[in-house]
Amino acid sequence: MKNPTALIADDEEPMRDMLRARLAECWPELAIAAEAANGVEAIALAGRHQPDVVFLDIRMPGLSGIEAARMLFNRCHIVFVTAYDQYAIEAFEQGALDYLLKPVGGERLKTTCARLKERIGQRPADIAVQLSRLLDGRGGGGNSGNHGGRREYLHWIQAQVGSSLRMISTREILFFQADEKYTRVQTAQGEVLIRKTLKELADELDPDEFWRIHRSTLVRVDAIAEVTRDLRGRQMVRVKHCAEQLEVSRGNTHLFQQM
Amino acid sequence: MKTAATGARGALGFVRELGETASSLWWQFFDWLAQVPMRQLVMTWLLALLLTATPAIHPEQAVAFIFISLGLKVLAGGKRKAEIEARRASEQAGTEELERRLVEARMAALQAQVEPHFLFNTLALIGQLIETDPPQAAQIHQHLIDYLRSTLPQMRSRGNGTLARQIALSRSYLAIMQARMKTRLAVSIDVPPELESATFPAMMLQILIENAIKHGLEPKIEGGRIDIRASGTGTMLQVDVQDDGVGFSRYAGDGIGLANVRERLKLMYGTRAELQIETPAEGGCRASIRVPFAPDIFADQHK
Repeated sequence: MKNPTALIADDEEPMRDMLRARLAECWPELAIAAEAANGVEAIALAGRHQPDVVFLDIRMPGLSGIEAARMLFNRCHIVFVTAYDQYAIEAFEQGALDYLLKPVGGERLKTTCARLKERIGQRPADIAVQLSRLLDGRGGGGNSGNHGGRREYLHWIQAQVGSSLRMISTREILFFQADEKYTRVQTAQGEVLIRKTLKELADELDPDEFWRIHRSTLVRVDAIAEVTRDLRGRQMVRVKHCAEQLEVSRGNTHLFQQM
Repeated sequence: MKTAATGARGALGFVRELGETASSLWWQFFDWLAQVPMRQLVMTWLLALLLTATPAIHPEQAVAFIFISLGLKVLAGGKRKAEIEARRASEQAGTEELERRLVEARMAALQAQVEPHFLFNTLALIGQLIETDPPQAAQIHQHLIDYLRSTLPQMRSRGNGTLARQIALSRSYLAIMQARMKTRLAVSIDVPPELESATFPAMMLQILIENAIKHGLEPKIEGGRIDIRASGTGTMLQVDVQDDGVGFSRYAGDGIGLANVRERLKLMYGTRAELQIETPAEGGCRASIRVPFAPDIFADQHK
């Protein structure tokens, strides 16, 4: 029987060195076929070398270890190596996967190697269920942020300032006001104009964060200082750090009904 | 007897209530008089004259009203108005003070938590280096101690508030990250010596750098660079942290870090300081903090 082979994937070189050195002590027959510095590379190298085992770091650029595992799972045995990941630990403890905590200690690695030696001739365990649970639970561990059915709201407004785009956190914004083709964005520091229409903004912003009080005004609820009535009986909103008063249109007065 | 007593008490209560109502009405009228603009008062007089100009009522009453209210307005109105405004201002100051304390408490809870990922990864790195490169292990170990000394709230000492001290702390952090990311992280720091003693709030630079690495460079396969620059423009001190990483998602939450910086700036400087995030045309992200420029005159003493 040929010697078993392994692939190590970790974005930090010292961590790969460490794991390789430890594996050489615990399991000298295991040949390290290749080392990958990110998830994408791990997939490519696994395809080329067909290793029996893949040691995967969870936090890696490109594809996270969990996403990579999803693409590799019935082709090889997978061992996750992670510095700290409470959620993953809980999930693996119930599953067929093995995991190692960095820094990888010799004794713990021996157990893993023993477990791997036993199973190396068998088909890899079907871990699809655990993986999909992991991915659902943590948004894939990636940075795209648009996973799952939960609605994502806009948290930053972009405004062109010179050759740069200024990013304005919605938490800084006092209100938006429609101004013909543009929308005026008011902060405590000043105002900028953006091209997005009020309608588009209203659709993309969190309705609990911003209230539409008028056809042409969206106000951040937390920024409201007080609501008063003027002589004509119209409701007027006064916003913190700003002298301007904002009118509430008739159709929206229910927003400020007395409790 | 009993009914008579309750009757008397009821009548007494009624009279007292009447007195209270009259007194509160009077003070409401007085407050109105104190605050009403002169022009509006004149309009009210004209209205009163018009209403009383019918033969049924004597216009003298309106005239008397005009004289009395004018007299009150002139003699006592100004003082009363000032009193009312002072009370309102102190009420508002009370609420603001309360809000301020609330934010401070929240900030204290949030302030610069050391990320467990970072700590465990660095300890793993030191563990590895002890075997392969003991001198470097000792260096990283020292950097970690410096970093923890400034970031752990219990350990944070006074005299941390100069730009030079904050830059030194960031150098420790960046040295650790460079040992881990190797060629994937390049760093340049450009701080003119005359700005080193300037006052700069603790941990803010650190938060911007951590963000640049975590959200900009770590997700980027080939890594990238971070440029830290300080510049003084007359009365303002500006510190920029620019990376050439993957950029910025408009849907990403503000995060605890940036919200923390923004709230603390507001508490310390009001609207005179700001945090600005930009995505330059060439990509990546630039975060800038602008605070009033104040050289720390005790700088030499806490060295």
